[in-house]
Amino acid sequence: MMDSATNAGAPARQATPILLFDDECAVCRRMAHWVRGVARNALGEQTIDVRPIGEDPEVLRKLDPRLDIWQVYAKSHLLMPDGSLLIAGEAVAEVLRRSPGMAWCAWLFSVQIFKLRPFQSLLDLGYVILSDVRPIFGCKSCGAPALWARPFVWLVKTTKRLTGPKSHAAHRPNFTPLAATGDVKPRPPAPPAP
Amino acid sequence: MTHRLSESTQSGRSASRDGITSLDAAGFEARVMQGHGPIAVEFMSYSCAHCGAMEPVLQEVAETLRSREPIFRVNVAIELDLAATYEIEGTPTLIMFSEGREVGRSEGPDPDAATVLEAVTAPFGLQ
Repeated sequence: MMDSATNAGAPARQATPILLFDDECAVCRRMAHWVRGVARNALGEQTIDVRPIGEDPEVLRKLDPRLDIWQVYAKSHLLMPDGSLLIAGEAVAEVLRRSPGMAWCAWLFSVQIFKLRPFQSLLDLGYVILSDVRPIFGCKSCGAPALWARPFVWLVKTTKRLTGPKSHAAHRPNFTPLAATGDVKPRPPAPPAP
Repeated sequence: MTHRLSESTQSGRSASRDGITSLDAAGFEARVMQGHGPIAVEFMSYSCAHCGAMEPVLQEVAETLRSREPIFRVNVAIELDLAATYEIEGTPTLIMFSEGREVGRSEGPDPDAATVLEAVTAPFGLQ
């Protein structure tokens, strides 16, 4: 079921929904790549416009004044042509509905039993779990994992440390190394001494 | 249950409530290098979840300090030269300046108000 709220006074809408994804997160990049592959109509045209979130809050606000860049990085946002905004599991369900190759399963998420949507609830839960375990799959910009996921993340990291190449970088729990996000730039060479 | 629009609009971090000014290189030169008195700058990136966790805390600290010590933010994903100049290794990094000179630094502090307040005020003895 779609959120029917619309945004009066918003910029002109485009015909296809816009899916905003975290380009710094390896898991999200893989998902976005997959969506670009499956969200095509019979003519091969994209049925969903998949865009990286970027780093400019103003660009997002121009797209839709309700978009808060921190929130958009925290959960998937799908901006619909009618101005409604779908978030997290709802966004995933709508992406599946609009992907011809996945329509066979997308109907499940609309099924209601006693006013509840059990499959949508499962999808929402799956979304939260995947979101929480992203650090296991190499997302270094995703922050501290949720409490329940920490033992698993610790186990994976310890295994990698024991079996992989040695790193002497100090681990800091509230810190994202720039090398992880691709924002690093080599320092310019020092000017020659006079 | 449908995730309503309010999920992304009632975060308390909207631009109108932003007590931290974002600076580009020119703004940094004018407000930090030419600035007087204690100044704190957060080198951050919107894609960094630790910076997202830090954001409401820093807003609270900025509100506490108000005019005693302005807090600015520099986006290292855009201001690459500033990040290189100050040898930013990761985000969030807080650097405290006085008369255009770095006087203190805190890399990845715990995102709680007491820790961050201590980090941004200790170099100036404000607390």
